[in-house]
Amino acid sequence: MNRTLLNYSWFTGCVALLSLLTGCGQGSPPQFRLDTVALAEKQIPAEQVQDISNILEAMFGTPDDPFVLPETGLDLNLVKMSAGPVASDEFGRETGLYRRHCAHCHGTTGDGMGPTAMLLNPYPRDYRRGIFKFKSTERAAKPTTHDLDYIVREGVQGTAMPAFGLLPEVQIKSLVEYVKYLSMRGQVEIRLSDALLDLSEDEKLQPTRELLVDEILTPIAESWSAAGDSIIPTDGDNARPEMELAASIAKGQELFYSTKANCVKCHGFGALGDGQSTDFDDWSKAIDEAHKSLNGDIATLDDPGEMTSEEKAELAQRIARLSLALDTDSLPPRTAKPRNLRQGIYRGGRAPYDLYRRFYAGINGTPMPGVGPPSPGAPGTLTNDEIWNLVDYVLSLPYDPISSPPRQQQHVSRAAL
Amino acid sequence: MNPAAQQLESPWPHRWAVALVCATFPMIWIGGLVTTTGAGMAVPDWPNTYGYNLFLYPWQTWVFGPWKLFIEHGHRLFGTVVGMIAIGFLASALWCQKRAALRWLALVALVGVIGQGILGGMRVRMNEVTLAQIHGCVGPAFFAFAVVCAVVTSSRWREAEAPTGAGIARIERLAVIITLLAMLQIVLGSFLRHLPTGARPGDFRLALWFHLFVAVGLWAHIALITFRVWRGFRDERWLRAPATRLSILILLQVLLGLGTWVAKYGFPGWMSGFEFAAAYRPTADSIGQVVMATTHVAIGSLILATSTLLAMRAWRLSSLAALANSKSEPVRRTLNTPKLLMEVAR
Repeated sequence: MNRTLLNYSWFTGCVALLSLLTGCGQGSPPQFRLDTVALAEKQIPAEQVQDISNILEAMFGTPDDPFVLPETGLDLNLVKMSAGPVASDEFGRETGLYRRHCAHCHGTTGDGMGPTAMLLNPYPRDYRRGIFKFKSTERAAKPTTHDLDYIVREGVQGTAMPAFGLLPEVQIKSLVEYVKYLSMRGQVEIRLSDALLDLSEDEKLQPTRELLVDEILTPIAESWSAAGDSIIPTDGDNARPEMELAASIAKGQELFYSTKANCVKCHGFGALGDGQSTDFDDWSKAIDEAHKSLNGDIATLDDPGEMTSEEKAELAQRIARLSLALDTDSLPPRTAKPRNLRQGIYRGGRAPYDLYRRFYAGINGTPMPGVGPPSPGAPGTLTNDEIWNLVDYVLSLPYDPISSPPRQQQHVSRAAL
Repeated sequence: MNPAAQQLESPWPHRWAVALVCATFPMIWIGGLVTTTGAGMAVPDWPNTYGYNLFLYPWQTWVFGPWKLFIEHGHRLFGTVVGMIAIGFLASALWCQKRAALRWLALVALVGVIGQGILGGMRVRMNEVTLAQIHGCVGPAFFAFAVVCAVVTSSRWREAEAPTGAGIARIERLAVIITLLAMLQIVLGSFLRHLPTGARPGDFRLALWFHLFVAVGLWAHIALITFRVWRGFRDERWLRAPATRLSILILLQVLLGLGTWVAKYGFPGWMSGFEFAAAYRPTADSIGQVVMATTHVAIGSLILATSTLLAMRAWRLSSLAALANSKSEPVRRTLNTPKLLMEVAR
């Protein structure tokens, strides 16, 4: 056979076989993964890692067979609808919703490391810390079910997060419940590994109900169920002041450029999002710090000083473990990109009260600070009126002449005629 | 026309083969729709449908029931239509064809349809995504095979004459390379569509980059073959038509590929400076998303089939050209082709 064709045939055959074989062995049921980076950083021994895995399985089940304790407040039927492999029955009832719609980005464990994650900007959300950006509640509080429902239903503009509004109501409810399930599971994992840090080398974690449910799970579940109590009101004392719009915008502009609100630091003097962008969000910050820790350890190993050979061996092992975890279980850190406010695109909702809440509490998990009271009764950086002035100014930016000169000129020409 | 060809005049094998081609393409569409809409497990048993014999499942439930059931059960029913046509093709080949090669081709076609059906059935019974991947690759391969059957049973194949232009052997080689690349693209695309649950970010990225790399290679080869066909065989419509179609299809496919990505994942982050990109967000299960992805799959199969058609025709002309150059020798093999297939070229 012609050599060129032979080479081509071999090449394509090998690549094709490799592609298909990559799928082989994936027939085993998917499993939840632990946060190996955090476990490596905390230097949790392998036996205790297995303990964590066993405890989590007992408390939350598996991706194909989930389980929830009553203390979580979750609806197991809704969770089960989203769990498991993709299927539907003769009546159109679907299961495996999470695997069909979400897992390819958010990952089986909800760690934001699905197969497509590396190619997406911004990265898919990692639910495990219980931190969510766009919500109606105080900064540190959990999102309400309605907040999650909104994001699932409407999607997030400018990102790969689709709108699932075409799905039946019950499926949206199920997906929201499953996100809460994964988030709670992730938070329990973090608390478990923290609990292990408090133990001495000889001690073993005692998986008692008192520890697992009363001390770890219940506070987490309560933070979710109490989210509704932390909604930032936009009426009463927080209502928009009676003020002429032009005056409010002018005041807001003043605040935008003042050191008090300091918006220009990140959003730039033109509000184009071209200010400082060297900060990380919480998810990337954790990975960045892990990388710094690793580099520090490597530097120490290169110049061990008076370390004993056992200490050096231990350090080398720690380095190898953390290095492997970062290579296989993390995405490259990315700095947080401030919003270009002149586009008129607001990811958490474009209603004035949405922006009010965004400014009041900031955006949890990101460098965007809140300018409202950090807790009820405490003074904020800005007063309520000032926050609304800022809202009016930001909402006016896309219509500012500098944002769209041609439209402004056409408007003037028509008026002149 | 040679005396052997005169004996093989019955048009029926060709008609059945063309019917097979025409029936297989919609099958690929429907199969693509099964995956796009997540209907692969809408019917959990096989070969029955919820306990009913495939043909006895209540048609009202099928037609007016859930969409996924409609697609999946419809896919199976249509598969039986393709199977019937393959039986018809085999029967006509046994009845009308003296050439053993063509009878074997028809038998392989029937075995192919049955095999594909079994693959689909096993995918369901074992709930195995890898089998879905393979099923998704065998379908287009069978489509290309059906095209081969239609081409070699055609009167034009029998009546073909050696081309006047030079360089037909190069066209043949290019066409074969394009066919191989098109098949590889389908395999890579199948991996991207049927992501293993445990796939890591690096796996998908690698497959995607490969998919894009091969797309560029495919486009370059198609551009080259179109150029060479138009330059050296402008009057040879038998080559010109499929080459031109390939050029149009690859352009369409690139656009569909980009559209599929945007419909599924939105615009890339570097485009966030453009307002339309910053404002856009995909809508899950929208008609646009479904149509874009499914059409991309179908056009990929069409590219494979068209390149196969072009390769077969180029091979035929190349063989005739070689024969014309050496009257006393038997048909010179331009490829190391099995003897069975060389019968087809006579």
